[in-house]
Formats: sequence, structure tokens, C-alpha cells
Amino acid sequence: MHREVFALLYNDNKELPPLLPTDTGKAYKQTKAKLGMRKVRKWVWAPFTNPARKDNAVFHHWKRVSDESKEYPFAQFNKLVSIPSYSESEYNQYLKSEDWSQAETDHLMDLCQRFDLRFIVIHDRWDRAAFRDRSVEDLKERYYGICATLSKVKTNPWSNSVTMVNGEKRTYHYDAEHERKRKEQLRRLFDRTQEQIDEEQMLLTELKKIEARKRERERKTQDLQKLISRADSGSTPLVQATNNEGSATPANVAANIARRHDRKIHKKKLTSQQRPIRAVETVTVEWSGIKFPEARGTGVWLRSQRMKLPPGVGQRKTKAIEQELRLMNIDVAPMPTEAICKGFNELRSDLALVLDLKNALDSCEYELQALRHQYEALNPGKTLTIPSSICSTHTDNEAKPAVGEIIDVVGSPSALNATI
Amino acid sequence: MSLPTDFGPDSGGRIKGLTIVKPIVYGNIARYFGKKREEDGHTHQWTVYVKPYANEDMSTYIKKIHFKLHESYANPNRIITKPPYELMETGWGEFEIVIKIYFHDPNERPVTLYHILKLFQSPVTEGAPPTVGRALVSESYEEIVFQEPTQLMQHLLSSVKPITNGPWTHDTDFEDKKEKSLERIVSAQTKVRNEIAELKEKLHLAKETISKFKDEIAKLQNNTNSMLTGL
Repeated sequence: MHREVFALLYNDNKELPPLLPTDTGKAYKQTKAKLGMRKVRKWVWAPFTNPARKDNAVFHHWKRVSDESKEYPFAQFNKLVSIPSYSESEYNQYLKSEDWSQAETDHLMDLCQRFDLRFIVIHDRWDRAAFRDRSVEDLKERYYGICATLSKVKTNPWSNSVTMVNGEKRTYHYDAEHERKRKEQLRRLFDRTQEQIDEEQMLLTELKKIEARKRERERKTQDLQKLISRADSGSTPLVQATNNEGSATPANVAANIARRHDRKIHKKKLTSQQRPIRAVETVTVEWSGIKFPEARGTGVWLRSQRMKLPPGVGQRKTKAIEQELRLMNIDVAPMPTEAICKGFNELRSDLALVLDLKNALDSCEYELQALRHQYEALNPGKTLTIPSSICSTHTDNEAKPAVGEIIDVVGSPSALNATI
Repeated sequence: MSLPTDFGPDSGGRIKGLTIVKPIVYGNIARYFGKKREEDGHTHQWTVYVKPYANEDMSTYIKKIHFKLHESYANPNRIITKPPYELMETGWGEFEIVIKIYFHDPNERPVTLYHILKLFQSPVTEGAPPTVGRALVSESYEEIVFQEPTQLMQHLLSSVKPITNGPWTHDTDFEDKKEKSLERIVSAQTKVRNEIAELKEKLHLAKETISKFKDEIAKLQNNTNSMLTGL
């Protein structure tokens, strides 16, 4: 409801609308409506001729008296295209064509004139009885070819297909071959059946899948390359600790050992031949835990911001650290005093280090297992003992060396030789 | 007034090497109506606040504090320019309040705190009906660190007056909490350091064992090779 109407019905003092008319003055009724300031202009029913017509036909229409003397206004839209013309000799000299006879060309030019270059209409009205059927492109090619030739040899600017650019004549060049191809393509696109469309869709999705798989393969190859180069240059356990995620769950252990086994052999060959002392070297590798950013130069900041883990620490690690903190009954967001901040950050850095070390130890253990398997394969009936302190909990219940004699690894080589 | 050259425009107007720390407490107190209010369904009256940890008037250095409430509140951006920096409202739900503290010196950028408005007891005491009248307090301790403050800021920060003549206390015993947290962290640190040492030792042993195993295998392989060639 409009505000004004609403206000009539419900105003603030809730009065009813008056029952008797209160306004007795002369209202709208007596005053004459004034709609415009000017005088009324008259219309008359009058005959007119259209100068665009050549037959002098007379029609009638309504028009203002004041416009009586003026010409029919729509006549100005009757634009005519100027079509080039040629003499007999000009045709013989320049326009001769093997494909087109002069009669046919004349017919074309005539139709062009009659239908104002509407080539679709020209094509429709083509005299198929006298001449052979021509495509729209053929007609256009011939017409624009004539225009181009004539504009070169003649000087008068007779045609709208010639434009002057920088004092130089430019003619419109009609590329018939391109047009034919374009139409053919459109026709083919339009003529496809539903089955063909479906097949194309299917092929496109297949292509996408193939490309995705290819990318995936390339990514994996790169990862592997990185792994190998890192294994060559750095410490193997660290690489394994970072790359073999999820291997710590007991369910994966068996499968992983098998997989690791061949990889390890391959790697071992590389390393044992090239750098026999590498394994001992890695012991000196330093783990660093988490590096917290240094205090900024100037300005205001909140102490608690100091306790944010740097973005380099992954979510998995963050979760693990928080879990450890909860186990030790420490608030994951303690009171941010300077001392607590420092201690808390150091503690979390240490916890991260513990996690890294545990991972490294895990992978060392896997390596030991693999080496033991390898040894057992080479030397059936014998085995090597892994020091029990290294074994983490989830491998404690694994089969202890039970078959054959147990060889002490620090034992003398002669003992070994004796058993062979 | 003549300024020492150290504080001139060359030094960026900042006092080198000086750090001023202002501890604050922020949080909310909430009271249950005892029932759901008919008109709007609100159940609690709450007050969110920022106050100094020590007995001092923060308005000497704080220009204003901007509390950003949940969108559903009419005019959710509330600005408090004078102490006490607090805001009383009613509601039925918990949400995160963004608290932005602006300082008098425009060269010091504002700091932002995030507080989760707490109306209901933590799950520990869940099951018990919400107590009427007794207030629930959820507050945190924070320290605003002014590192190398501007000269103006340094002046403002060091000329604070006490806010009250009476004692200035907090609902939460932060001193006790501070002590206990630190204690726990320190003891945990020693424990974790021991664990690290132990792990490093184990790792060392593991690596040595690995190299020994490898030697054994290499020997074995050499033996088989020599045996094969010998044959």
C-alpha cells in the first residue's frame, strides 16, 4: 500500500476519515486543464508521391498542415549501390575469363544492380536455364574480381568497393577459398548426428584423463629423481623419514618392508660401492627442531604472536606436537609472558626434534630388517641380530631370529668363514 | 623544546634498544537470565572488556578500542574511547569478537586480539543446569610489546597514572597460572631433552649396526664371488 494511502487510513491520532465533505471550494471541476502552451497544429489526409519510386504512384497519408510542402521523408533512405560498368573492349581487354562467358558476366552485373548486391537473392534468381548453376561464393568471387580489375585500370571512383587510404586505392579482396572452407566447416558442424557429438565428448574427457595421468606420472618420476639425488648426497634415514609418510602404522609395515626391500637393495648397491662410510657419516647430521622467527625491529606486537608456529611446520607435525603437549598437561596456548614464550617455543622445538628422531629411528629399523632379510637370503639358515634397544614397540612382537645359529655381528670373520 | 639528536628524524623518531611491555587482560563475563527472554530469545547478559593487568590508566596511550561483534547485532562495530574499555550486550550465542586496540601515536600500528565470547560452562561441568546469577568469566592474559617505541609513545607509556586508589584484582589468578605453566614447561623440557639424548644414542647405535650389517653382507657377497671365480 502506498504511504499516502496508508496515512489516510491510519494516521497517528487514529481518527476516522470525515464523513461529510469538508472542502466546498471550486476544485478540479471548473478549471480547464492546460496541457500545453502551444497552439494545436492540424493534421490533414493528403496525397503524396515517393521520389524513390519511378512510377509516380500516388498514395495518401496523414500529415501536418505545416509539413505540406516538404518531400516524403523516407525517400532519403533509398540508397543505390553503384555497380561498375565496362565497355565491350574493356571486357575483352581485361575481364576475359575461361570460366565465365561475357553473357553470364553481364547477367551477373545486371542482377547485382537489380538486387543491390544481395548475393543470396542474386543466387536465387540466377538464370539456371541459360547458365550453369553457380554458388554464392562463385558469384561473389567473379563480381569482386571485376571490381578489383576495373578499379586498377579505370580512374573514376565509381564503386563503393574502392576506398582511398593515404591517397592510395584500396580494393576489397574477396577470399573465395576461405569462404568456401568456412561454410563447409559450418555445414559439417551443423550436420553432426547426436552419436557423433556424444563420441566427441567422450573422446575429450578421455583426453583429459590421459593428460592428467601423464602429469601424474611425470610428477612421480620427478619425485623419484629427487629422492635418488637426495639419497645420494645426504643422509638416507632423513630422506626416508620425510618421504615415507604413513609407513609407521603397523598395517602398512608388511607391505612397506617388501617394497622397501628392493628399493633398499638398489640403493645399497649404489651407496656401498661408492661411499662405504656414508652410513656412519650421517650420525653427525644435526636436527634442528623448529626455527621460530626472530623478533621484528620496531613497532607494537602481541607477545602471543611469538608463539605462533612458523608456516613451514606442517599440519601433521603441528597436530602431533599438540597431542604431546596435551599428554604432558600443558596448555596449547599458555599465558604469554616472556619466560613462558621462550620455554614454550623451545619445548615445541624439542618435541619436533623428538618426532624427527623417532621417524629416523623407525626408518633405520626398517633398513636393518631389510638388511637382515637380505643376509638371510644370501646365507640361508643364518641371521643377524638387531640390538633390542633399537626396536620400537610395534616391532617387538615380530619374529625374533629363531632359525639356525645366530651370528654375532661383531664376531670375527673367521667364524663366518667357518660356517660357509 | 629541544630534542636529543638520537630521537631525531634520522632514527625514525624511535628510541633505539628500548622495549616497553604492557600486560593486559581481556575477555568476557556472562550471566544467565534464568530463562529465555520472550521478545528476542536472548538468554545471557554479557560484558566483553579489555583492562590493564596492573593498576594503571590505559587511556594515556590507547586512543580507542574497536570491538567487532557478530554481524547479527545491530551496529556490530562498537568503538570505546574511554576506560573502562568494556561493552555490555545480551545474546544467546557464542562467537568470536575481534578486538582492535589503537594507540595515540598514529605511527604505531593497531594490534588485534581475538576472543571467543563464552556464555556456557565448559564441557567438564556439562549436564549441570546453568546457574542463575553466578557469573561466568573467560579471560586471557596478553602482553603488548612496544619495541623501540616512538618518542611520543614512550612519553605516553611512562606517564600512566593509577586507575583506582583501591586494590586492583582480577577474577583469574594469573600469577599462580603463570608460575604453574612455567613449572610444567620447564619440567617437560628436561624430560624431552632426556628423551632426545636417548633417541640420539639409539640412532647412533642403529646407524652403526646398519653399517656392520652392510659389511657382513658385502663380505658374504665377496666370498660367494670369490668362490664362484675359484670354481
